[in-house]
Amino acid sequence: MEVEEVRSFLAQFSPFGALEGAVLSYLSTKIHIRYFRSGSTLVEADAPNQLFSIVRSGAVELRIGGTELNHRLGEGQCFGYPSLLRGDRTRNQVVALEDTLVYQLDADDFLALHNEHQAVQDFFHSDETQRLRKAVEALRSDNEGKASQPMLGVPVRNLLRRTEVATGGPVMSIADCAAIMLEQNVSTLPICDHGRLVGIITDKDLRRRVVAKQLAYDRPVSEIMTLDPMTISGAEQALSAKLIMSRYDIHHLPVTNDAGAIIGVLSANDLLTRLGMNALHVVSEINAAADPAAVAQAAKKLTQVIVHLVDSGVDADHIARFVSAIGEAAHKRLIELAEAALGPPPIPYALVVFGSLARSEQAGGSDQDNGFILDDSYDEAQHGEYFAALAQRLCDGLNSAGYIYCPGDIMATNDKWRQPLKNWLARYRRWIETPDPDNVLNTTIFFDMRCVSGEAKLVDTLREQVLSWSKANRIFVSFIARAAATTRIPLGFFRNFLLEHDEQEGNALDLKHQAIAPLVDIGRVHALAAGLSPISTINRLSAACDADQISGEGSADLADCFEFVRETRFRHQARQIKAGKAPTNNLNPETLSSFEREHLKDAFRLIKTHLENISRRHAGGIS
Amino acid sequence: MSLAGSLGLPGWLAEPLWQRQWKKVVAEAKGTAMQGYYAAPQLAPDTPLGDVSIIALDFESDGLAEDAALLEVGWVTLRSGGIALSGARRRRIHVTKGLEAKAVTIHQITDSAAAEGAPEAEVLGELLEALNGAVVLAHFAQIEAQFLNTACQRQFGVPFLGRFICTKHLEEHWFPKVRAADGLRLGKLRAQYGLPWYRAHDGLTDAIACAELFLAQLARKDAPSLTLGDVLCPM
Repeated sequence: MEVEEVRSFLAQFSPFGALEGAVLSYLSTKIHIRYFRSGSTLVEADAPNQLFSIVRSGAVELRIGGTELNHRLGEGQCFGYPSLLRGDRTRNQVVALEDTLVYQLDADDFLALHNEHQAVQDFFHSDETQRLRKAVEALRSDNEGKASQPMLGVPVRNLLRRTEVATGGPVMSIADCAAIMLEQNVSTLPICDHGRLVGIITDKDLRRRVVAKQLAYDRPVSEIMTLDPMTISGAEQALSAKLIMSRYDIHHLPVTNDAGAIIGVLSANDLLTRLGMNALHVVSEINAAADPAAVAQAAKKLTQVIVHLVDSGVDADHIARFVSAIGEAAHKRLIELAEAALGPPPIPYALVVFGSLARSEQAGGSDQDNGFILDDSYDEAQHGEYFAALAQRLCDGLNSAGYIYCPGDIMATNDKWRQPLKNWLARYRRWIETPDPDNVLNTTIFFDMRCVSGEAKLVDTLREQVLSWSKANRIFVSFIARAAATTRIPLGFFRNFLLEHDEQEGNALDLKHQAIAPLVDIGRVHALAAGLSPISTINRLSAACDADQISGEGSADLADCFEFVRETRFRHQARQIKAGKAPTNNLNPETLSSFEREHLKDAFRLIKTHLENISRRHAGGIS
Repeated sequence: MSLAGSLGLPGWLAEPLWQRQWKKVVAEAKGTAMQGYYAAPQLAPDTPLGDVSIIALDFESDGLAEDAALLEVGWVTLRSGGIALSGARRRRIHVTKGLEAKAVTIHQITDSAAAEGAPEAEVLGELLEALNGAVVLAHFAQIEAQFLNTACQRQFGVPFLGRFICTKHLEEHWFPKVRAADGLRLGKLRAQYGLPWYRAHDGLTDAIACAELFLAQLARKDAPSLTLGDVLCPM
């Protein structure tokens, strides 16, 4: 017989709310109610467990096995299930923080419920990393449910303006094909042979390969067409089309159906129109800027780009790449403009960026971190003035464009970071061979470097040399591993963050330093320890997995975690921007949804575990 | 109501009296629908509480008078330190006479709803089966005892004799203090123990509410080796 009071309570909480009424009624008859005084232990750590529990009233604290982390659970939250799902002993101790009434299910009843209902399975994924993965998906689908169109998430076929596609054949003449293009008013013509796409021609091809070369118009089009063009399935997301176009610098992409037949041609313009205000627009605007003021004006649209991408349901990794593309464009254009004003550089040099921009992981509100690696032919007396002036123009321009001066003075305007290659090498060598434990944290940013302009070879040489030194130097690796492990998630704050009743400190969560930086550190430690060349965190994690530094599972978990914390940051920044504020990394935990809050806890736990792992592995267990 | 209860005798004196009464009623019940209930073995007062089967019980009625009509009964089982909802029941009782307006507004049970219930004898029969060998738990147990006794007399011509635990009584005796006039009401006590507020006032919800209060009292008492005798309410 259903117990209405219990049933209606369960229905308010996930995952029970998703269950049918009859299931909930049945469930209400399977429950045991227990009461625990504040301070009493509900579950012992490392003990057999046969009960699944839901907090009905009061609060309990999970003391997470082997760590100092505590996790507070309140009304409607569940515990005791990981051990049931694993069929193993408990890991965590559960203590009542207040007088607590709990609803409990026997293991058999819980497992039956779990096995029969997908919603329950999704919710109680046996480990938190799985839950994190689900959380990212849920965030995204949540986004899609909103009024704002998920523009980059729509299938490519929905973006095609024409339902019928004109094609030419390989044996047709250039003139005939041009006639079709004129008649159909298209700038691109796919060339098909017996229904199969074999090539493509564009207006540009006609100009470059025919008119300019005075090629006879009666030649077969096969002589001028681009062979085997890249295509995309109509079912793919617009985002994928966008990435292919950016990566391969193409503006027209034939779209195919499931059978491989052409259903249309997607143009970059179609996408731009669709997206309206968009990251690449800003990049184009920066590239076309006539002076630093115009660069600044364009770059300031970055905030709107973030809002737009977040609202479009674009994943954090791609948002970061778009944001980084804008940052990179600003650097490139400003240095071009500076060179145009000062004259060409007297000797080869590279503009190198460090940190998040180097990793293509920039978010809103980034400062600048850059330097010049000069060719070893550098002569202070002869070239010093030029590069100092160049640096000044670059850094001033960046500051005006919203990339504020680096508070740590890591900028090309600083003599220290405007040096010939040999000096850069000597400095890195010193960092690696005689590491200073007090200073190691301040140098880690330099181990993420990328050339954005000038002689890329200078940066490549430096990076390769640095990796070969770091890989061979276990002491250095142990120092940076130790430094990473000490950048702990501040437990005092964390506790406060979890204990919602505790309102004493109104301080914020620093997503950059407390959530994102530790993950970046983990990627960097692996890269330096194994001499891995990738710069972005995701690529470093996957390379670390290939090099057997971490397990495939560990790598995937960290990548998901990284995605989740960055997604949280971008969503936070989008909210700030919409509210007319400048984007920051500081988040008031009260503004988090309970969903984000729950999963941030999972993320913190995962980060903690992996920091401990690298500490064990590389720092001899000292942390 | 039993003689011992009406005299409010202390346990050491009440027990032998109660045993004699029990024997007497067992004889009376022979051949009636209550024979089964009275055939159950008697638990000694020194039985550990953990071995006692307890049924939390609550009647909804149209008043508190001796002849009040019972509208509904809810009950739930306490087992090994918890409440087992598998043993939860809520039964409506078919009433023929007009309901008193005031009680109706409290319990939200209307004439027509009450008319849909099962005959009183049938509901009592099911309840007696659950109570077989068990101890009754209620908040202000005297009232429930009176209801049960009157109903059994009415339907079967046999009094109801049973052992009762009363959460109101336990609170007064275990945790004596100066209280407001309504300080011993179920809802007030529950709030003090951090127990949730329940919207509904039906027999089953109130029975569960009382059972939860009992668990909270036991947890606060924190006496691991309680016996049945320690918690029984002198009737």
